[in-house]
Amino acid sequence: MMTILQTANSASFVRRRLDPLGVVVTAVAVAGLFLPFVIFKANRIVPGEGVPLWAALPVWAAIAALVGLGSVLVIAMLRVRGELKLAASGAGLLAVVLLIGLAADTMSPQDDSLARIGIGAGSWLLILALALMLTDALSRLDPGPWTRIGSLAFAMVVFGAILGSGTLNELSILKEYGSRAPAFWQETRRHLELAFGSVLLATGIGVPVGIACHRFSAMRSGVLNLLNIVQTIPSIALFGILIAPLAWIAANVPGARTIGISGIGMAPAMVALTAYALLPVVANTLVGLTGLATTTVEAARGMGMTSGQRLWHVELPLAMPVILTGIRIILVQNIGLSTIAALIGGGGLGVFVFQGAGQTAIDLVLLGAAPTVALAFAAAVLLGSFIDLSAERART
Amino acid sequence: MIEICDVVKSFGDTRAVDEVSLMIAPHTICALVGTSGSGKTTLLRMINRLVEPTSGNIRVDGRDVMSVPAYELRRQMGYVIQGHGLFPHWTIARNIATVPSLLGWDRRTIDRRVDELLDLFQLDPATYRNRLPGELSGGQRQRVGVARALAAKPNILLMDEPFGALDPVTRGKAQEELRIIQQKFGTTIVLVTHDMDEATHLGDRIAVLDKGRLLQHGEPADIIANPATDFVRELVGTTDRAFRLLSLATLGEHVESGTADGEPLEATMTLRSAYSELLWSGRKAAPVARDGTVLGIVTLDGLGRLAARP
Amino acid sequence: MSPLGLVLRLAGLVLLVWLVVQPTAFAGLLALFTRPGQPSVYNQGSLLALTISHLLIVASAIAASALLAVGLAIFVTRPFGVDFLPVSRALANIGQTFPPVAVLALCVPLLGFGTTPTLVALFLYGLLPIFENSLAGLSSVPPPVTEAAKGMGMKPMQRLIGVELPLSMPLMLAGLRLSTTIALSTAAIGSTVAAPTLGEVIIAGLQTGNTAFVVQGGVIVALLAVLIHEGFVALERSQRRRIGL
Repeated sequence: MMTILQTANSASFVRRRLDPLGVVVTAVAVAGLFLPFVIFKANRIVPGEGVPLWAALPVWAAIAALVGLGSVLVIAMLRVRGELKLAASGAGLLAVVLLIGLAADTMSPQDDSLARIGIGAGSWLLILALALMLTDALSRLDPGPWTRIGSLAFAMVVFGAILGSGTLNELSILKEYGSRAPAFWQETRRHLELAFGSVLLATGIGVPVGIACHRFSAMRSGVLNLLNIVQTIPSIALFGILIAPLAWIAANVPGARTIGISGIGMAPAMVALTAYALLPVVANTLVGLTGLATTTVEAARGMGMTSGQRLWHVELPLAMPVILTGIRIILVQNIGLSTIAALIGGGGLGVFVFQGAGQTAIDLVLLGAAPTVALAFAAAVLLGSFIDLSAERART
Repeated sequence: MIEICDVVKSFGDTRAVDEVSLMIAPHTICALVGTSGSGKTTLLRMINRLVEPTSGNIRVDGRDVMSVPAYELRRQMGYVIQGHGLFPHWTIARNIATVPSLLGWDRRTIDRRVDELLDLFQLDPATYRNRLPGELSGGQRQRVGVARALAAKPNILLMDEPFGALDPVTRGKAQEELRIIQQKFGTTIVLVTHDMDEATHLGDRIAVLDKGRLLQHGEPADIIANPATDFVRELVGTTDRAFRLLSLATLGEHVESGTADGEPLEATMTLRSAYSELLWSGRKAAPVARDGTVLGIVTLDGLGRLAARP
Repeated sequence: MSPLGLVLRLAGLVLLVWLVVQPTAFAGLLALFTRPGQPSVYNQGSLLALTISHLLIVASAIAASALLAVGLAIFVTRPFGVDFLPVSRALANIGQTFPPVAVLALCVPLLGFGTTPTLVALFLYGLLPIFENSLAGLSSVPPPVTEAAKGMGMKPMQRLIGVELPLSMPLMLAGLRLSTTIALSTAAIGSTVAAPTLGEVIIAGLQTGNTAFVVQGGVIVALLAVLIHEGFVALERSQRRRIGL
């Protein structure tokens, strides 16, 4: 009979060799293989018909795909070096994207411009499984800020090259893009204006307010409570509530209309987005300043710095990582929230999201949602790296 | 009786505990002493299986600890850690009642036991029963920690730096209290400490560990007098070892015959305190008394002979 | 809570109930926002029914997210689930870069119009804050406390229920508050895909250019969200006190 110790050891033998996450990744990927790889639709609105991987691709490509995927999954399931898992999952993701393009090319009828090839549930599952593996490998390797920025740039260049090469042009989402390219770029610009404009405004207002809250503790709880309530108000309600006063200003304040203030459109959206963004900026500025070691501040005082000099040369630089964290939060938040501006005529990528939802056209929704998510993700990675870099500088 | 036989614990390539064998007699206090990283805490935690040995075995009262489920084993032993580890969301009474409740004692027995222990540790039950740990002082929390460990009347009490977080005055009181309770219940105590004073003061026997190995195991007087290695000598300290030796015995055990003038000294006083007292009052000798009855005298010369290298 | 704060919150509650139950009482005030010929009080359905259905949608979705998210947080903090800890942390971070509206819009083509896509979107998005905060809560239990619980012979389940869950309750409630706030907001937008919520009032106002409807709906939704948020804050505070923090 085995002692408890021996049973424990033999149970952990399996654990030592097999990666449990890899098992999940494999299960998801295998499920993905049996679901439609792409979807064939007679036109852009009707529900389509799913086509599995082996039927959607030329035989040579299907065999290569299965062999390739199999080897990636073996790497996923074994406990091997993180770098190997990272390379395997990255190559796998690239291959799936290229295969989707190839499938769309293969299946598109020559003479039928109405027919659409959409991405099937199986492809999504494959992408999900490989992205899981990639995320796990990346988070275990814990790359430094420059590596993260480099990887982001690399991923953007690769994806841009794929889009530019035309490999995916037969895909339905790119056909949606093709039929409204000017509108897409216009709304993207508007989206960026809303998101970055509101973040700039909120930083410009919020940092001084945060400094004031730090200096004058009497105003602290009042300001924070007010901003907390503003952040709690649902976006559509805040957009709506702002319509009335802005319409009044547009009608009654001379010159307001000429600088673009009106009841609906960009003005209420910009005001609401700025208002939402204030709380994280003010709160993080305050936390950053109060969190400084009193000895540092005392030393600055002891060396005869005026309070303005202390703020510029000592307190703000040291509080910078915390303030940047606040800015990262609001940038990611406002890139997402800007989609709602479309509801009050403010434009932005939300226009496609809501149009697509109204027409149940998933490709149109994706045309709005995918760039939004990509923007928010890129912003999160970039600012996260800046925060680490500024924290390194503040430490040394 | 705790028997530790050839126990090894490896974490990766390092051996935290390296072939340690140790016998701890019932009703005694054994102090495990060492610097941080010496393996003393790991050794203690193997007794209640918070850590499982890589090889070797540990028997408690003749039974291998690996032969019973860990939770059952742990309920039979008290366990006290540094920083007390009280459950902050439970009242003092519920904290003390933890193990009795796990063992399924009935409510009235538990309540009675809780009050008994609060009394024992001089915490008024009516006042403290329903307080939360956050409302107590550090010293009080530490006492509740020990009371909780004793709640189910265990034969064995494992203590990991139990007094580490206390200020010197509170610490001294807590040590006295522990000695009294140990004598009263005859509990076997294994105490981990890095403080040689605490070890010589409380331990019936001391085990010195370094880098996972047991360097020396013996009575405090023996360890002070004949340190086995340079490391042990350093730990014991060379400048005040004579005083350490004196602090191990009380006046009552070394009464000389004769007479002396002045205020008598209590027989329960340690020899070290008596020595200091004689120097301070400028006397060469003083009477020794127990409960007002003079037993004999103590002399500076006599103490000097006792403090010399045996 | 200051007396002024209490009075303000009570006033908010009274105003909310009044607006919902007897909207006609505000007809005169709301008429300020209308153009000639427009109705000033929402007349396309019962505000009370919309409020109740709004709350029900949010409550059922968040209840489901809470069950799954807390379960997952427990799983990845146990010895057998620890392999999934890094990836689940990273996923929770990445997931929050998805705007809730995008999740809602993506559900529509798959699930059709109505309440279902809204429920699913609220459920999916609600998972993230609850999971993240539960994880933070479970990992914030002081090591001496878990060590003591183990050393006294509590079994894993007893430790989880008796010690770890109660001690992480304030943070879990904070996660629940965040998810609920986001869900109340997203549910309002759900009316663009035909879910019966208070967003209908605002959307109806936007479509007909009737600012009175927009203001009416906006104020009701805002009050509802702020009061629920305050309720959670009070609950968290009492929980914190209860566990002696």
